[in-house]
Amino acid sequence: MAAATLSDHKVADRKVADHKVRPIMDAALERTGFDRSRLIFWSVAALTTLLVIGPIAPIAMQAFLNKPLYDASATLTAANFGRLVTEAGIGEIALNTVIFAVLSTIFAQVFGALAAVVIGRTNLPGRGWLGEVLVWPLFVSHLVIAFGWLTMYGPSGYVTLAVRSWTGVTPWDLYSLSGMGVVAGLSQAPLAYLMCLGAVSKADAQLEAAARSVGAGPFRALWSVTVPMMRPALIYSTVLNFVVAIEMLSIPLLFGAPNKIETITSFLYDKGINAAVQPDYGIVGAAALILLAIVAFLVWLQGRLMVGSNRFVTVRGKASRPALLDLGRWRWFVFAAVFAYVFFTIVLVFAGTLMRASVSFLTPLVPFWTLLTTKNFDLILQTPNYMRSIGNSVLISLIGGVIGTVLVAIITLVSRRSEFKGARPLEYIALFPRSLPGIIAGLGFFYAVIWVPGLDAIRGTIWILILAFMVRYIPVGFGTIAPALAQIGDELDRGARISGADWWTTVTRIIAPLLKPALFSTFALLFIHFFKEYVTAVFLFQPGSEIIGTTMLQLWAQGDNGPVSALATIQVVITAIFVLVARRVLGAKIYG
Amino acid sequence: MADLVLDRLTIAYGNVNAVDDISLTVPSGEFLTLLGPSGCGKSTTLFAISGLNEATSGTIRIGDKVFFDGARGIAVPPEARNIGLVFQSYALWPHKTVAENLSFPLELRKVGRAERDSRIKEGLELVEMGKYAERYPFELSGGQQQRVALARALVYRPRLLLLDEPLSNLDAKLRERARIWLRELQERLNVTTIYVTHDQSEALAVSDRIAVMSMGKIQQLGTPTDIYERPANAFVADFIGSANFIEAELVGRSAGQAQLRLGDGTQLVASSCPDAVSGKLVLAIRPERIELTDAPGANVLGARITHSAYLGSVHEHEMAGQGFRLRVQTSRAVSSPEVLVRIPPEAIMIFQNGPQAL
Repeated sequence: MAAATLSDHKVADRKVADHKVRPIMDAALERTGFDRSRLIFWSVAALTTLLVIGPIAPIAMQAFLNKPLYDASATLTAANFGRLVTEAGIGEIALNTVIFAVLSTIFAQVFGALAAVVIGRTNLPGRGWLGEVLVWPLFVSHLVIAFGWLTMYGPSGYVTLAVRSWTGVTPWDLYSLSGMGVVAGLSQAPLAYLMCLGAVSKADAQLEAAARSVGAGPFRALWSVTVPMMRPALIYSTVLNFVVAIEMLSIPLLFGAPNKIETITSFLYDKGINAAVQPDYGIVGAAALILLAIVAFLVWLQGRLMVGSNRFVTVRGKASRPALLDLGRWRWFVFAAVFAYVFFTIVLVFAGTLMRASVSFLTPLVPFWTLLTTKNFDLILQTPNYMRSIGNSVLISLIGGVIGTVLVAIITLVSRRSEFKGARPLEYIALFPRSLPGIIAGLGFFYAVIWVPGLDAIRGTIWILILAFMVRYIPVGFGTIAPALAQIGDELDRGARISGADWWTTVTRIIAPLLKPALFSTFALLFIHFFKEYVTAVFLFQPGSEIIGTTMLQLWAQGDNGPVSALATIQVVITAIFVLVARRVLGAKIYG
Repeated sequence: MADLVLDRLTIAYGNVNAVDDISLTVPSGEFLTLLGPSGCGKSTTLFAISGLNEATSGTIRIGDKVFFDGARGIAVPPEARNIGLVFQSYALWPHKTVAENLSFPLELRKVGRAERDSRIKEGLELVEMGKYAERYPFELSGGQQQRVALARALVYRPRLLLLDEPLSNLDAKLRERARIWLRELQERLNVTTIYVTHDQSEALAVSDRIAVMSMGKIQQLGTPTDIYERPANAFVADFIGSANFIEAELVGRSAGQAQLRLGDGTQLVASSCPDAVSGKLVLAIRPERIELTDAPGANVLGARITHSAYLGSVHEHEMAGQGFRLRVQTSRAVSSPEVLVRIPPEAIMIFQNGPQAL
C-alpha cells in the first residue's frame, strides 16, 4: 500500500520550500518562568498529606493528653494507656475482637474461594446469575445485612421461629461470638470471591493446557496449576477481610450488645458516644491509637506477604480464557449446594428486610400477608428528619463521588505519571487510609474540627462527612484508576509532551479522555461506598447532617425494627437503581 | 538552522552509566543514525535529546540554545524544545482522528484555525495520507500509522527530528520500502534527523553518518562506508557484518604488508595493517569475502565443514581448521566436507588482541 503512492512527490515538493522558509514556530512554547504543573504537584501532595494526617494527628495527641483535646489545661501523659489496660474487661474485649475476626475471616475465605472456583471454572448451571447475586452484599452496608440477618435468623427471627415451631429446638444463637463470626464472614465472602475469581478465571489457558499435555486430567490441572495461582488473591483478601472484621461496628453492636459481647469497635462506640457521663477522651484516644497501629501493621504485613507474588502473575498479552470443567453427574448436586448458599445467606436476608418493612409484625405463625401495612414506610416518608437523612446520603454520595473521583484521579496521575520528585511518597500517603478504620477516621475528624480553629464552620454539616468519607476511600479510587492508567502506554503522554504540551495539558487533553471509562467506574464505586458508609459518620453527624446509616442506628436503639427495615429497603432500592443506571448509562464496571 | 551538539553527555542510573561521556556534533540537515545492540544507550541518548529522559551531566544544545547543562542546572522541559519525535509504537492518540492528532501540537502553538487546517493538509499530503484525515488510528495499518506519526512530528516544523526505531514494527518488505521513502522525505525537508536502530542494514541504507554504540560509548562515528570497510575495532567489525575472528601473531611488516602467524603455525599475509598494533592480534574476516579454492597456495587454509545451511541466496558453512573456526558464504553447495579456503590479503582486518578486543 505504501508503494502505490511512493513515487508521486510533485505535490510534496512544492511544500518543501515552505518548510525551509517559514520560521520555526516555537515562540508560543516559550515558558514565562511560572510552572503550573509544579504548582499542581505540590498542591496535591500538600492537600493529600493534610487530609490523611487530619484525622490521625488529633488521635495521637488525644492518646497522650490527660484531658479532652480542646481543653487548654490538658497536659501530656502516658497514663491513658495504663488506664486502658487496667480497664475492667479489656482483656475480654481484645480476645473477643480476635476470635470474631479470625472466625469471620475463615468463613469469608472458605466460602469465597470455593465459590470462585466453582462459578469461575465449572459448567455449573446458572453460574451467570449465581455469580451476580453472590456479590450483592458488597453493594450495601453491613448494617443493612446485619438487620436482614437479625430479622430472619435472630433469636426471634422469622426462620428461627419457623424451625423452632417445627422441631421444637432453637437451632442457633446469633447473639454469640460464633454467630457474629458467621454473619460477618458470609457478608465478606463476596470480597474473597471476587479476588479469587479474578485469579482463576484470568489465568492463562495455556498453563492448564500445558499441564494437560504432560498428562494431567482436567481436575488435576485445575488443582495443581490454577488453584495455587489463587494464593496471592487469597492472602491479600485474607488480610483485607481480617482488617474489615476488626474495624466492623454493625455486627458486634447489633449481635453482641444483648449478651454484652464487646469488641474494640463497640467499646470505642460505647465509650465515645454512649457513655452516660462525659466520654472518656483519654481512654478512647489510647484505644483508637492502638487499633490504628494494629491495622497499619496488618496492612504492612499484607504488603510483605505479597512481595514476590509476581511469580503468580500470568496475565500477559492476550491470554485466552481457560476452558470450563465439566462437573458431569455432580453438576446438579453442586448447583443445589451453591443455590442453597445463595438463597439462605443472601436472597433470604434481603427478602427479610423487605418483608419486615412491609408488615406490622413478622412471624411465621401468622401468614404475613394478613399483617401487610405501609405504616413503616409512611413513618419514614412523613418524618422530615428521616427524609433528610436519605437526601443527605444521596447528596453526600453524589458530591463526594464527583469530588473524590477528580481528587483521586489527580493524585494517581501525579504519583504514577509525572516527573514530580515526591511521586512515590505521595502514593504511600494516598494509600495510607487503607490502615484507617472508619471509626478512627470519624473520631479523628471529630477531634480535628473541635481542635483546629476555623474548622468549626463545617462541624455538623455534610461537608465534614464528605471530607472524612473521601479520605477513607482514596485507596479504593486509586486501586480503580491505577490499573486502567497502566493500560495507557506512557509513550502517549511522551508524544504529547514532545509536541509541546506541558504536564497539565497532557493530562487533561490526552490521558483524561482515554481514562474516561475508569473515571466513571471510580465515581460509581465511590458513590456506592459513600452511600453505604455509616461507621465514619457516627461521631461526625449532628441533627441536620444525619445519613441513612446513622438514622437506622438511632431507630434501632429505640427498638423500632419496622422503620429500620423500611429505611434499609429504601437504601437497597436506591443502590440498585444507581447500579443499574451506572452500568447502563456510564458503562461503569462495578465488581466484575 | 544550527548544529546539534552533545558535549560529554553522561546519563547514569544508579551506578551504571547508560550513556558514558559521549560527545557528538550533528550538522544541520544531516541524517545521523545511532546504531547498536539493545542496552547500548542509543535510545537513552535519543530521549535525553528530546528531554523525556533527564541526563546526568554534560550539555545538549542546538546552536547556542541550551537544552541541558548539568553544570548550570539547566534542563528545558520536552514541551519547550520544539523537537519532533516518532516513537517505536507510533504513540498516536487513539481518541483523536488523524487530523486531530496533527492539530494538537498546532493548537498548543496557538496557530489559527485556517492556518492549522492548511498545515494539517499539507503535512498529511507530505506523507501521502491526505485521504485518511478523518480516520482513527485503529482504522489504519501499521505502515499508515507510521506515516501519520511522522506527519505529526513534522507538522510544527521542529528544529530536529528524532526517530526511535520507527520501522521495527513493520513487516520486512514494507520496512525496506519505508526506509527509502523516509530518507527521501528527510532529504527534501532537509531536517536534521537522529535515527535510532539496531538493524545494521537499515543504518547503512539511510544514514549520512552512523555512530556505532556499545556500553554507553560511541565505538565509531563515520559514513556507512567507513563503518563497514574500516571498522575502528573488533566490536564494530563484529556488529556490522558479523565478521569471523581468528587469533594471530604479528611476525613482520614489509612494504605495507603484514606477515601473520596463526596458532598452528600457518602463515598469512595481510595487505594493510594499522601501525599501532604489535604482538598478539585478532583478525576479522567477513564471511562473504572468504573464497573456496582447489589449489594450495598463499593464504590458503585447510578446513572441515561441520555444518551447512541453505539461506536462499547463499549457502553458509560453519567450518573448523587447526585452531580456528570460520563462517563462509558460497553461492553454490559444497559436496566434500574437506575444503581449502583462501583468505584474500585485502579482506583481513587487524586489531590488537586484548581484554577489550570484543
